[in-house]
Amino acid sequence: MKHGTLFIFLFCLLLGGCEKADDFTADPRTNFNALWKIMDEHYCFFDYKGVDWDEVYDRYVGRVDTVKDQFELFQLLGEMLAEVKDGHTNLISSFDVARYWDWYEKYARNYDKTVHDSYLGTGTEYRKAGGLLYKRFAGYTIGYIYYESFQYGVSENNLDYVLLYFKDCKGLIIDVRENGGGSLTYSDRIASRFIENKMLTGYIQHKTGTGHNDFSEPYPLELSPSDRVRWLRPVVVITNRHCYSATNDFVYKMSLLSNVTLLGDRTGGGSGFPFSSELPIGWSVRFSASPLLDIHKNHIESGIDPDVFVNMTSSDIAKGVDPLIDHSVSLLLEK
Amino acid sequence: MRTACLIALFLCLGLSLMAQPDNKKEEPWSVNEGTLIGIGGYNIKDTYLSPLKYTGGGARILNERMKVVSWGDYNISRQQLINVDVASTSNPASTSNDLSGFVDYSLGYHYRFKPLPSLKILTGASVRGSLGFIYNTRNGNNPATLKADLDLNLSAMAIYQLMIKDYPLYLRYQVETPFLGALFSPHYGQSYYEIFNQGNDSGTIQFSSYHNKFAMRNYLTVDFPIGNVTMRAGYLNSLYYTDVNNIEVHIVSHSFMIGFVKEFFSLGGKNLKKKKHLFRSAYY
Repeated sequence: MKHGTLFIFLFCLLLGGCEKADDFTADPRTNFNALWKIMDEHYCFFDYKGVDWDEVYDRYVGRVDTVKDQFELFQLLGEMLAEVKDGHTNLISSFDVARYWDWYEKYARNYDKTVHDSYLGTGTEYRKAGGLLYKRFAGYTIGYIYYESFQYGVSENNLDYVLLYFKDCKGLIIDVRENGGGSLTYSDRIASRFIENKMLTGYIQHKTGTGHNDFSEPYPLELSPSDRVRWLRPVVVITNRHCYSATNDFVYKMSLLSNVTLLGDRTGGGSGFPFSSELPIGWSVRFSASPLLDIHKNHIESGIDPDVFVNMTSSDIAKGVDPLIDHSVSLLLEK
Repeated sequence: MRTACLIALFLCLGLSLMAQPDNKKEEPWSVNEGTLIGIGGYNIKDTYLSPLKYTGGGARILNERMKVVSWGDYNISRQQLINVDVASTSNPASTSNDLSGFVDYSLGYHYRFKPLPSLKILTGASVRGSLGFIYNTRNGNNPATLKADLDLNLSAMAIYQLMIKDYPLYLRYQVETPFLGALFSPHYGQSYYEIFNQGNDSGTIQFSSYHNKFAMRNYLTVDFPIGNVTMRAGYLNSLYYTDVNNIEVHIVSHSFMIGFVKEFFSLGGKNLKKKKHLFRSAYY
């Protein structure tokens, strides 16, 4: 009998392991609340941007009951997310991506692909190493690199060959216009080729809890110089409003160097390391979760101003001229 | 409180049963080894990746070795378990998948009692190290979590021999639960970039006990001979719940297992030197 009791006890423990999964639901109110809560507990820029998230709830919740289908629900939730004015914040479904792109769409583009292609030349007139397109301008005296996306891989070997190709050049242009970001690893890898000594490049924080101000102490980010081929001569980094996220991070690191000039337009920003989550309806949510700060512990979410503002006008485009590249070449030739 | 109750339960089991050691020091003790494969259902939730539960299927392979050792006048047995399992689960809307994999090894020692001729009761403790991951195929910068645990466990087992006419069946039930350990967890909103690329790993290794972790493994098996082989069929229920750094995790699985059992003798180097072979070897 004693052993029977023991087995009954153990059997009860075993049954205790059974658990039912959450159910799928397309209920607008449930999904609205889920999205609001995810943002409330994880988003990292409420205070910096002065967004009253409770007020946003009150303003939008009344519209939830008027939603007729998933498309209207998606539209409503997308509008609510746009309140934080953040390019890293998206709602992603199988039929659309809700996004906030005002940070570059409302400004001059300062880039034209046709004009840029004419500067690069045909496929045999420039080289391609990983994600880097590169060639020499001005009688081989100025090196030029175009990096379209930090999502495109750049290996240490790629960088060795690219910099060796420019060994007789007096200056180097790194053009990151239209680069919307990608991997911070590539930002660190490339920037490490331009520094002489280990240096502080900023700080990183993360949320430690659900409160809007539950943040860790800023943790210093340091960058060590590469022990491979490095470039310590003058550099111009060309930027436009579409430089975002990892590109913003790269531009900021480069701005700390005395031999680097930023030229073009303000970057788009995007200094919140984005995380993902999801709603019961199955849509994915992306949001800024972990802020990267500058060396003075200030946010760089709103972008970085260039040292030299240069714009590309419609007249320039009509003439096939890229004043940002031309100005960069002149600047480097003068040095 | 839960810890105290469980420890009391295991102690009561030990004290209430009369130890009846077999006087078998002179007889060689063989190793009982079972290797089983299994499939089953998984229910996984990790709020670092998603607030939703993911469900699906998985497969596992489990190798178990058990042998009586000379300690405690041959009343203690050693059990080693090596488990590898993988699972593929999806969110309730089936728009996203998690792939997960876990490897663990445990080494346990049990004191053995024989309250009835056909019943063995084993109580003891084990140490287990486990390593695993959950990878969300849709997430961007928080695509995966690393699971690393080192635990001390309480363990109890009952082995019962059931005879159906002349056909023997060996039923076994084992329960194991960690009461003390350490585990890895990122902070609430901390990226793995910050931990591993930038080296901010402070607070990512946490002391674990019942205040922030509850895990249990229930293992039910039956051994039965078929022809010249002994087969083992089983059911393995694994529960794992943690609440560390404001991140909640649960991994629950139910696996149905089948495999083979063999008994063998391990002739160590000491016996080889002394040439005290008790059995005729094809090699030595």
